[in-house]
Amino acid sequence: MKYMLSFTVNGAPADVAVGPTETLLDVLRDRLGFTGAKRGCETGDCGACTVLVDGRSVRSCITLALTVQGKAVTTVEGLARDGKPHPLQQAFHDHGASQCGFCTPGMIVSLAELLEKNPEPCRDDARAAIAGNLCRCTGYVKIIDAAMAAARSPHKKGGPA
Amino acid sequence: MASSRILPEFELLLPQNIKEAVSALGKLKSKASVMAGGTDVVISCTKGFGSPNVISLAEIPGLDYVVYDSKKGLRIGAMATLQQVADNADVKKRYPALQRACAINGTPQTRNMGTVVGNIMRASPSGDCICAVLAIGGKIVLQGPKGKREVNIDDFYLKYRETACKADELAIEIKLPAISAKNAFARMTRTTLDLSKVNVACSLVMSGKTVKEARVAVGAVAPTTIRLKKVEAILKGSQITDEVLQKVVATVPTEIKPIDDVRSTAEYRRDVAGVMVKRIILEALGK
Repeated sequence: MKYMLSFTVNGAPADVAVGPTETLLDVLRDRLGFTGAKRGCETGDCGACTVLVDGRSVRSCITLALTVQGKAVTTVEGLARDGKPHPLQQAFHDHGASQCGFCTPGMIVSLAELLEKNPEPCRDDARAAIAGNLCRCTGYVKIIDAAMAAARSPHKKGGPA
Repeated sequence: MASSRILPEFELLLPQNIKEAVSALGKLKSKASVMAGGTDVVISCTKGFGSPNVISLAEIPGLDYVVYDSKKGLRIGAMATLQQVADNADVKKRYPALQRACAINGTPQTRNMGTVVGNIMRASPSGDCICAVLAIGGKIVLQGPKGKREVNIDDFYLKYRETACKADELAIEIKLPAISAKNAFARMTRTTLDLSKVNVACSLVMSGKTVKEARVAVGAVAPTTIRLKKVEAILKGSQITDEVLQKVVATVPTEIKPIDDVRSTAEYRRDVAGVMVKRIILEALGK
């Protein structure tokens, strides 16, 4: 049996009929075409599927879609503002903080939550924020460099509502 | 591409209030799992160990509270996340053992999802919040079809993954007493994100330099998290001297029954548990 899920994705309302066993990741990727969040381990371990629900980062692969009824979901696609990349997206580009790129959306979403909570983090704060995001290319140093550059950016308070 | 790992079928119930949740649980009993943040329940479903019905508390309003009162103590609602509890100023000040257990549990994302009450109810012998709460002392508030009851944490864990919560009861809150006891928590893991191979917590009521009351809990070394009654007896009435601490370290292995498993060996757990208990006693006292 399907139930109607009404929520917002990146600020736009979405209504989707979903089954009880469908995850938020399934709905974002397969129904709504937001393929930024990646399907990695599917057991909540790797962080590739990280999205924001009401501003808090969660694992969309272990979030049942019907439990986000009425909530505001932000994926990496929703971080840009006024046609400009989020400061983190720009900094990842500038610092070469992506290698294969699979972990990048999860990294950026986790760090976006950090910058919302703490606009001036230190490197250890950034490391703690991505403690649950695995990069198999092991490019962590450049990711932290990028996080620091974004934090220094004058637009660092931008990002998800 | 569709999901490579389609979840086995189950029915998802989304009650709108506690009464509806208890009524659903009363009908389904052991055929239902209660889900708060889902970090355990959804993974159990993924692995094929799920129940045919999942009762989610996500749509019940007002269950995500963390409230402190200087007389009544701390109340944590069933939907309060690990991160909420870790960030709470009163928890930081008065219950550092619980704060630490929440703050180092899992990843930022699972802390935003997982709940303290969920960690307590999962009844894993390695549950970090269980260890902290067992040391601090507290009560689990259960709502059944005939009303509410409170169970002392000391009487809550019966055997491996089995609690005093009946199949038709819903855990809605955990209560910690208003205490002045110094408390601390520590755990040992192979990597930061791993489950504990050993976790320890203590809570000490001091009268000057003398321990007036002591509660010491240790997890992942027996079928349930346990209190170390012999160690507590050594501490009670004593001053924390090197000699007393040595006696504590020697006594811990006699009170635990660790096993070999994927995270550690019985021998290693027996060796480190005593040292960890000594260290958290010193940490609780600010030494």
